[in-house]
Amino acid sequence: MTDEAPQYVAARVQQALAEDERTHELGIRVDVRGDQLFLRGQVPAQERREIISTVASEAAPDLKVRNEINVVEVRDPGEEEAL
Amino acid sequence: MKAHIAAVGDIHLGEDLRGKYRAQVAGIEHRADVFLIAGDLTRHGTVKEGRLVAEEFRDLQIPVVAVLGNHDYHSDAEEEIADLLRDVGITVLDDNSTVIDCNGMRLGIVGGKGFGGGFAGKCASEFGEPEIKAFVRHTKAIADRWRIALKELDADHKIVLSHYSPVKDTLEGEPKEIYPFLGSYLLAEAVDSVGADLILHGHAHLGTEKGNTPGGIRVRNVAMPVLRRAYACYCLDGAG
Repeated sequence: MTDEAPQYVAARVQQALAEDERTHELGIRVDVRGDQLFLRGQVPAQERREIISTVASEAAPDLKVRNEINVVEVRDPGEEEAL
Repeated sequence: MKAHIAAVGDIHLGEDLRGKYRAQVAGIEHRADVFLIAGDLTRHGTVKEGRLVAEEFRDLQIPVVAVLGNHDYHSDAEEEIADLLRDVGITVLDDNSTVIDCNGMRLGIVGGKGFGGGFAGKCASEFGEPEIKAFVRHTKAIADRWRIALKELDADHKIVLSHYSPVKDTLEGEPKEIYPFLGSYLLAEAVDSVGADLILHGHAHLGTEKGNTPGGIRVRNVAMPVLRRAYACYCLDGAG
């Protein structure tokens, strides 16, 4: 684990987030810097933000997970566009 | 007369969002004549999620037309999910068309999930191993079915509803390395060859809303993470 290149760790976490049935998240950016794992992106609910941390931690247990994912509020439809 | 269209994709409903999305589409009948859904209604494509989606979308006061997305295929239950949606009155398109009477105008919609392969000059070809050929053939077959469906469609306005993107414009913001998994130019080429008023798609959460095909047809990426709105509203003028 200590000798593994950070790119492979990030790739493994990204695959886990996509394939784990608790997440199936394809749009999360994963970056490894030293002993830290950064997660970035947006999800529509707090529960989804938290489970992403859990799955990422399991895939890279030696790294400190920094969850920078935003929970996005969905707004009203707003203006109509005339085409 | 004008046709008012509401559209969204990639709502990825799960138990944690039960009731919330439904609350956000309340009153949609005052804004739009039809609601088009560009795939990825579920997260995992399970029958249970399909049932939840059907409950969330039932009894809206305007016609709802949907296509499925790649997430809806994940558990090999796409047929059952489509049937659950049809049971509550949603029209689910799978490389075919429907016509909706819209303020006296015939609004024709050709829809299907689409597929990937990449964009002109930087795309997969039907060459080499059978797995690559199968990938490319899947997109070609879809594009052919859309072309035929568009030709046969008798309508005042034509909209194409897809999950995957037909153009690169609306992928702006996504990593270029994954473009071949986000869409295919073959889809745009098919639509350009016959003509349409608008193409709607989802799938690219990091992309941008507005683009065009090489033939000048308006393309809108209505993935909810792109819109950051419950749905987008577009107006097609009766003048065509």
